[in-house]
Amino acid sequence: MEATVIPLPLPVLPEGWEAENNFKAIGKITQESAATQRTLEPVGPYFLAHARRARHKRTFSEDDR
Amino acid sequence: MSDTGSKPGPEPSERTAIGITFGNSNSSIAYVVDDKAEVIANEDGDRQIPTILSYVDGDEYYGQQAKNFLVRNPKNTVAYFRDFLGKEFKSIDPTHNHASAHPEEAGETVSFTVQDKAGEEEGPSTLNVSEVATRYLRRLVGSASDYLGKKVTSAVVTVPTDFTDKQKAALVAAAAAADLEILQLISEPVAAVLAYDGRPEGKIEDKVIVVADLGGTRSDVAVVASRGGMYTVLATVHDYEFAGVALDKVLIDHFAKEFLKKNSSAKDPRENARSLAKLRLESESTKRALSLGNNASFSVESLSDGIDFASTINRLRYETIARTVFEGINRLVESAVKKAGLDVLDIDEVILSGGTSHTPRIATNLGYLFPQTTKILAPSTEVTALNPSEAEARGAALQASLIQDYEAEDINQSTHAAVTTVPHVGNAIGVISVNEAGEEVFVPIIPPETAVPARRTVHVSAPSGGDVLVKVVEGNTHIKVTQPEPKVKAPESKAAKVEDADEDGDDDSDFSDDDDEEEDEEEKREKVWKIGATLAEAGVKGVKKNGKVEVSITVGSDLSVIVTAREVGGKGGVRGTLAAASA
Ligand SMILES: Nc1ncnc2c1ncn2[C@@H]1O[C@H](COP(=O)(O)OP(=O)(O)OP(=O)(O)O)[C@@H](O)[C@H]1O
Ligand SMILES: [Mg+2]
Repeated sequence: MEATVIPLPLPVLPEGWEAENNFKAIGKITQESAATQRTLEPVGPYFLAHARRARHKRTFSEDDR
Repeated sequence: MSDTGSKPGPEPSERTAIGITFGNSNSSIAYVVDDKAEVIANEDGDRQIPTILSYVDGDEYYGQQAKNFLVRNPKNTVAYFRDFLGKEFKSIDPTHNHASAHPEEAGETVSFTVQDKAGEEEGPSTLNVSEVATRYLRRLVGSASDYLGKKVTSAVVTVPTDFTDKQKAALVAAAAAADLEILQLISEPVAAVLAYDGRPEGKIEDKVIVVADLGGTRSDVAVVASRGGMYTVLATVHDYEFAGVALDKVLIDHFAKEFLKKNSSAKDPRENARSLAKLRLESESTKRALSLGNNASFSVESLSDGIDFASTINRLRYETIARTVFEGINRLVESAVKKAGLDVLDIDEVILSGGTSHTPRIATNLGYLFPQTTKILAPSTEVTALNPSEAEARGAALQASLIQDYEAEDINQSTHAAVTTVPHVGNAIGVISVNEAGEEVFVPIIPPETAVPARRTVHVSAPSGGDVLVKVVEGNTHIKVTQPEPKVKAPESKAAKVEDADEDGDDDSDFSDDDDEEEDEEEKREKVWKIGATLAEAGVKGVKKNGKVEVSITVGSDLSVIVTAREVGGKGGVRGTLAAASA
């Protein structure tokens, strides 16, 4: 999908904000609270791409190349 | 897919593949030419081909010709059999088979007894439902082959979302016996969604779609999360009461009563099988005409006691007498949304599919059920809507053209649960932006119910440039209800109420009930995002004035997250990862 454009601006970096490589890992997505197993319908071109990546254990970026 | 018998299917290079919808009432065949799906007309010129076989003097008729024989040759006409495939007699509903060959118990399956050969001395044949399906599919495929000028070898066929594995296996076997390879069975509502997305002008967006498939004998509703062109069914409901034949029944009763009013000494045409068959056929075509025009005629020769009958009906009258059915359909759609744990405000589109979806009133009513922002895709509400009778067949044809070059084994592996059953994020993942009032707001990037792995990229504006914060958070929605400002002060409003009640005279309902109702009408309901747990922060420094920051979020199959953020057109940028959910 194309990148969507979001017109509302990002906040300004707070005074004194520092992090190694400018990145702070704070939380994570947990299986318990934030994800459930569901079944994708095996239909359409985007599913086929998904299946191809899954079966060949390829990532999105490897797939892009 | 389960095995299709010992015979291997054709080589991919030798396939001619089509899409088929195989309904209890109608079937369709479709094919993709120049990337566009087209529904094929059979030799009678029909694109909705009645799922009926009829035998007369040893000749087999199918489609509309067979349907017409319901009047003169009902005993040797087999109709409404699709749902019996793979089922035992005791679990079928024979309601719709009263006016044609009756289903009988035949061991593990269901059969019909018809005189399918010429000459009485031959005696009737007992055909089990698989054999009926095989014969019917052979005719469908024959029509498609004639049209295309080459033998159709393979198909993608649509089935309801509640078709069991046993039913699927029975369908695959019946097709194999007709020399038709089933490339894949796909679910009906998803075929309709694919038909929309697969149009040349179709745009892939994240959205939640309700597919209301309103047919002849059943109405099926599915709520589908459409995420980056991949589809997950969130909930389904099925109903056998509020569908096309119920609307036919309304008109049958209406015209039968009219007839009796004009011919007080005549017998009720509903009490004679042949008269009823005529009433039914004509009522159905009157009903269809009412989808297009404001008036429709009804005319049957020798309806009862040799008396001809002609009448007309206008749409308003029809909509009044059919109200219970229309309301039932609305409730069904509402219940599907609820079952998915969603609100009508969560629904972006309603796709109306199936023959009954041509009815303008149904689309209008659904328009009232959903907020104005929900697109109702029906012929009467949206000029770009697909023909509801054709959407699923087109979707099936698109899928057939997508997979026809794959080995059967490849298709099996890709449709296996190991590939299809994956985690879906429950919360949205997005970033914080600042609104006009200077408040922090949640901007979704990956919406809830997105299957992983998933990747989304957005461009967020940074108008003042400088150092900006990309704060990645979870988010979810809630429905905010705002009660209307009281127009007048409370005591006065009470006085006004009392006056109203006085005017109504005998209205003895209690006032507090009235109160609630009025507020319900005016309260404002809106969907708002709530900011949840913070996942990560990234700093993008030295952004140009009026710059944009590209944020990309990738969630892996293990729920690990990769965040990248960089100025659009700029170099470098930030990249960070969040660990997978604990194993
Ligand atoms: N233009 C129309 N206006 C109103 N109803 C229509 C119209 N065209 C077809 N129908 C009705 O649609 C119904 C058939 O729907 P459809 O072709 O989707 O069949 P189906 O999927 O085989 O149905 P089912 O399996 O539920 O019996 C019939 O009741 C028919 O009268
Ligand atoms: Mg149908």
